[in-house]
This record gives sequence, structure tokens and C-alpha cells, in this order.
Amino acid sequence: MPKSSKLAVNRRGFLKGAATAAAGAAAIATHVPESVDAQTQPAVGGRPNTPAPPPTTTQLERDAGAVRPPAGGNARAAVRPGSDLMVQVLRDLGIEYVAANPGSSFEGIQESLINYGNPPNVMPEFITALHEESAVTMAHGYGKATGKPMCALLHGTIGIQHAAMSIYQAYYDKTPALLIAGRDLGFIAAHSANDMAGMVRSYTKWDATPKTIEESLVAIQRAYNEAITPPCAPAMVVIDIDLQKEEAGAIKVPAYQPPKISGVDPGQAREIAKSLLDAQNPRIAVGRLRTPDGVRLAVQLAELVGASTSTSATQGPMSFPQRHPLCGPGANTSYDYTLGLEQPGTVSLTGPSLATLLSRDPTNIGFGGIAPGVSRAGGAGRGGRGAGAPGRTVDIDAEASLPAIIDEVRRQMSPDKQRVIQERSAKHATANQTARIDALTRALEQRRAGWDASPISTARVYAELWPLIVDEDWILASPSNFSGAHNAQLWDHNKPYNYLGGQGAGGMGYGAPASVGAALAAKGRKQIVINVQTDGDLNYAPGVLWTAQHHQLPMLTVMHNNRAWHQELMFVEYMCGVRGRGTERGHIGTTLRDPFIDYRMMAASYGMAGEGPITDPVKLGPALKRGLASVKKGMPYMIDVITQPR
Amino acid sequence: MNTKFSVVIFVAAVSLAATHVVRAQGQAPAQTAKPVTTLTSPVTGNAVTGKKLYYDHACYSCHGFNGETGARPFVPNWPANLATERSFTAFLRGRANIAPVQPSTSMPNYPVESVSDAQAKDIYAYIRSFKSAPPPVEKIPVMSQILAAAKKPYKQ
Repeated sequence: MPKSSKLAVNRRGFLKGAATAAAGAAAIATHVPESVDAQTQPAVGGRPNTPAPPPTTTQLERDAGAVRPPAGGNARAAVRPGSDLMVQVLRDLGIEYVAANPGSSFEGIQESLINYGNPPNVMPEFITALHEESAVTMAHGYGKATGKPMCALLHGTIGIQHAAMSIYQAYYDKTPALLIAGRDLGFIAAHSANDMAGMVRSYTKWDATPKTIEESLVAIQRAYNEAITPPCAPAMVVIDIDLQKEEAGAIKVPAYQPPKISGVDPGQAREIAKSLLDAQNPRIAVGRLRTPDGVRLAVQLAELVGASTSTSATQGPMSFPQRHPLCGPGANTSYDYTLGLEQPGTVSLTGPSLATLLSRDPTNIGFGGIAPGVSRAGGAGRGGRGAGAPGRTVDIDAEASLPAIIDEVRRQMSPDKQRVIQERSAKHATANQTARIDALTRALEQRRAGWDASPISTARVYAELWPLIVDEDWILASPSNFSGAHNAQLWDHNKPYNYLGGQGAGGMGYGAPASVGAALAAKGRKQIVINVQTDGDLNYAPGVLWTAQHHQLPMLTVMHNNRAWHQELMFVEYMCGVRGRGTERGHIGTTLRDPFIDYRMMAASYGMAGEGPITDPVKLGPALKRGLASVKKGMPYMIDVITQPR
Repeated sequence: MNTKFSVVIFVAAVSLAATHVVRAQGQAPAQTAKPVTTLTSPVTGNAVTGKKLYYDHACYSCHGFNGETGARPFVPNWPANLATERSFTAFLRGRANIAPVQPSTSMPNYPVESVSDAQAKDIYAYIRSFKSAPPPVEKIPVMSQILAAAKKPYKQ
């Protein structure tokens, strides 16, 4: 097994030094075009900076994945490196993208990603991230938009720790993600550890550190399966650099076997189907399912039995279409049987919670909402079971149960029942449409307040956006809870991916990278992504804007720029008042002023087109139209809007 | 920085509106006076000074820059606490003994050391300058489009 023999230098320093050396060497050997030379600015001390040479045509083609690996390969250290097989496994799993900030511990996998296969760098495509937290949050956003994992590569101990916050959020959000961490025991000691996955074990679902190429291939497949099996969550494989570089020889890629996710047994399916069909006014309460297929099945079941439904589509992805004729209170709100699909009901089918993974928290960190008795806030949170659910709970995944229930409904159906169901469905459709229009009329009346105000009301931002996207295939990837959540009342969330919901664990720095992840999903599906971006949130890792521009992603960012961490401002103001010491200093540490941040300029520095800051509400609509025109051409756009606080 | 999940609950709760004042344990009872849409009481403060105070004390954080947006708008349905300079000042002062330790539904207290009586009048003068005249829904093209879209048949 070959061993690395690199100098033990700091990773960032090493990369910076290498780049500087390369640039210096290139400056000597390469003709620097006049236009580039003219940009040279004197550095402090009077010495000119040496500009990096522009990329060659070959380099640009290589970056774009348009170069095939060299034929023959006799000069290569390994003819069939282990990492080629690892990438083949990712391909077989249908992984579309691998996001990473470059790291030496996975250079073998990275080289295979960009050079292996024909064409290389496609399915999966390497996505350049500027921070590991961004890479994993991209996977988080992608996972919520599609219901399947994206992959993120992490470099050693430092990459995992940079990514930790994002892993934590995806875990709380029960979102699948495939994480591969590189380990290089022969390089920088501080970047390696015996048990690297241990750093995030208490908030990942599964991990492995395989010892051979064969084990690595199986482990990647297993991690994928663990991630998509409820409770869905990130899973991690730590792969030594030596395994990536090692000659694989005749090792074969194992055939992939998808997981078997259990649903209700035939007896339970029979009972549920009978209850739905015998009820005079059945209802189906639909929470967050796992995949778009689950949503399709829920619609099928509701239509079969003529049940009115509730939806969580205004809170997050993978729920019942909001405008479906059966979605709403229905013609009669006295329900005699409610089937809960990941929601409370007379009978509730509820998949395993994150509490079932507590054995992965052996030191009892005890995360709130998952571990029992931790939070004073009450309830079990997203990760737990939820408190006070009436009726009977069947601890089994709802989505996996739907096919058997649908089969049973069909088997028990009679012409008489069908006739009743049709009549009931028609009544529900009329009542639900009336209820929807009534609710919308009230919502519009409320949201016209401050319509012409400057700074611009957040309601106007959402109201102006909706007519522009209503006929598009759209994803609202940013959480709207800090921006008034106006989409919930004004927009219709009919696709499983229309609204991706909150941050997972309420952590900041989520909106933009999650939107980039959603935009990766959107890119090949002719969809567009809307990112109503709070200003405090963007400043955690704004480099993700560069990723959007570099990969030409269809993402419209509309700043909800209230120039503060506004919630915290209110908290501190409140505390000042409680203590009676004056509120006039409540802005200290809670506001983003002196100077204000110019987000159009920020975007421009990453190469992204945009405009603003906009304070005149009349100018908002035209700006949004320009932004959407850009996004529909596949180019991201930034509009900085100065808004009311909420 | 981690953001607290209680945020929305708290925001929804911070209020000038008397109808939203929550009774803390053993404290003053909630007021129930109805809001009014027109105020005619005298205004003696300086609105220009009041604007600076409104910003400095971050009143806008809950009530919007124009009093008509945010967690607790008060324009045009003015709560009884804003009926007069006197009732407004009394309301600012009256918060001290009902502010619980936990984040709650109450707005901050403003003792005289923080906002003098004269400053309270200035803030009041600025608040009274707020005018809310949004167009009716039917005169806002975007809103008409939203309503029209909702009336279209559902397409799967």
C-alpha cells in the first residue's frame, strides 16, 4: 500500500504557498497579457502583486469536464484506482452532485470525479464549495427538494468540524445526505484522527471507516441506504487516502440493493382501508413524507376514498398539494375517522423518530427535542414523536404503508361506495375552493397594510413575486419564518418541493447554501429557485453566491435586508426594558449598520448580476421581473431590497 | 449565533396594543379597551425629535418604520393606550411591574430614566404623524392577479 510522504505544513498555508509559487513560476515563464498586467496594484510596501496567469483553453475545458482522461494510462501510478470504483458506486446510486471545498485527503476521489468515466465529471458533477458548511447545506437543500441524497466530501478532522453545524441541521430536519470524509494519516497529523466520524456521531445516522477498497464500496452503498431509510438523516463514510489511490485490480463494484422499508402489515392495511371506506366523513392528515412518490400515493388514496385532507406543504416539503380540490376543511368538519400520515389522527402512521438513534449518543449529550426531558420548551420537536397526539399511533413509515392501503381500498371498494365518494368529493371541492378564496381575501386585506411604505414591506415582496412565478415550476428554498411567512397565505404550494421549510435546527447561515442545493436539483429539471434571503443569515458564508454563479444555477436571491439580526434585536430590547436600564443601546451587537452592507456589490464581487438596494416599492416589481428573466436563462441574480423589519 | 425557536412566539407577542397585553402571574389585569381608527387628542411633542427617539429605541423593530407592519402594527387601528399623550406615557411606565423574566408577550418597559416625559411626548408626536392609506386590494394589480390565479382550476 503506497504511503503519502508530504511535508507536515498547515493545509491552508500549504495550498496558499503552492498557489503563490505556481503563480510566481507562471509569471516568469508565461507572457502576461497587457490587460492583466494593467490590473496589477501596488501592494503595501510598494511591491507589485503578481497576478495569477489567466487559465488556458485546455484548463477551462478541463474545468468544464470537457476533457477525456488520457488514453493508455501506462504512466499512471494505478491503472484502476480504488477511487474510480468509489465514483462508480456514486454513479450507480444516481448521485447527481458531489460538493466539496478541496482537501488533500480526498484528492484521489476528486481526481476520479473529474476524470473518470465517459463523460467525466457528470453524474456526479463536482460542485465547488467555498466552505464545508456550505457544501453540506447544499446537500441539505437538495435532499429536501428531491427526497434523495446529494454527496458532500469533507477533508479530515477540520472539514468535518467545519461541516458540523450543517450536519446537525440536516439531522434535525430528517434529511438524507451522503457524507464522505477523507483521511490522510501520512499528512498533517492534526487533520487525522482514529475515529473521525466520532466527532459527529451523535447527529449522524450511521458511519463507517472501511479498511479495504471492497469495504469502502459496500460502505458507500450502505450509507446511502441508511440515509434514505426512516428516520432519514446524514450518514458518513471515512475513506483513507491510501484506499482511494490503491490499485483496485479485478475488484468488482457490488450490485446495489435498495433498502426495504417496512409499511403496515396486511391486517393493518385491511383495517385502515375499511375504516376509511366505512367512515361517513373520513379525513387524511398529511405531514411530511419522504419522497415525491409518497405525495403521489397520498393524493391517490385521498381521491380513492374521497377524504378531505390537511397539508403541511406551507411549512415544508413533501406534503399534500395545497390547491388540490380535496385539500382543506371540506364540506363537513365533523370527521369520524382521520388517518394521519406522519401526523396525528384516529390512526397515525408515524415513522421512527430521531429518538430511535439515541444509542449513537452514548455520552448523553442529549440534544433537545430528541433526548427525553431535555428541553423546557415542551414537545418533542421535529425529531421526536410530538406530544398530545390523540388516537392510536402505529410506529411505521407512512409512505411505505400507502401502497398496501391503496390496494386494500381498491379491493374493498363497491359501486355504492364509489358513488357516495364521488358526491362527497365534489362537495369537498366546492367547499375547499370557497374556503381558500375566503382565506386569501382576508390575507390580502391584511397584507395591503404598508403597501406603499418605504422601507418595503415583506408582504409586498412575497405578493409581487407570486404572479411572476405562479406558472413556473418553482422552489422556495429559503425559510420564510423570519420574513413574515407570507407565502403560506398568498402562494399555492402544490408540488412536493415548492417550499422547503425551515433550517432544521433553527441555525443561521442556511438560506443561501440550501437554495444553491435546491438550484442544483432545479437545474436539470427546468425549475427555478427563489431565495428570500435574510441579511444576517447570508453573512455566515456568502461565498456560496460564487458557487451559484460558477455553476450557473437558476436562483433568484431577493434580500430581506432589515440590516439587523432582527429577532435578537427584539430580545435585547426586551431585556433592556425588563431591567429598566434603557433600550437605546439595544442595537449594540444586534444590527448591521455603520456601515450598511451592499449586497448587490457583494454579489457582483462573486460575478453575479444584480441590482439594488431598492427602497422604493414601485421599483420592486420591475426588478423582480428582470431577476426572473435572468434566472430563467440559467443565471443567478441578486436583488437587494431594504425592508421593514418583518 | 443560534437563533431561538421561541422567536416567532415572542415576536407575535410583543405589543403596544392593549388588547394584547398579557397578564403575568399576580400582575395587572389585561386591558380590553377597543382600538379606534381616528385620534383627535392634543399633540404637544416634537415629531422630528420623536422620530430619532423612535429609531434610537428601536420601536420600529416590533411596530415597523411606519407603524403599520411588523409583529404589532398599530396603524390604523390605534389601541387605547395611544389615545392620548398621557395614556401613552403611562403605558410606557406601566410595563416595569409586569415584565416577567422569561421572554413573554409584553413590550419592554421604558422608565423615566430611559425615556423622559418630554421624550415620550415627542415619540407620541411622531407616532401620531403616521398615516396609513394603502390602496384597496382591488386597486393593487398584483393582488388582483393573486386572487385571479387562485380562482383558476387546479392543475396537477
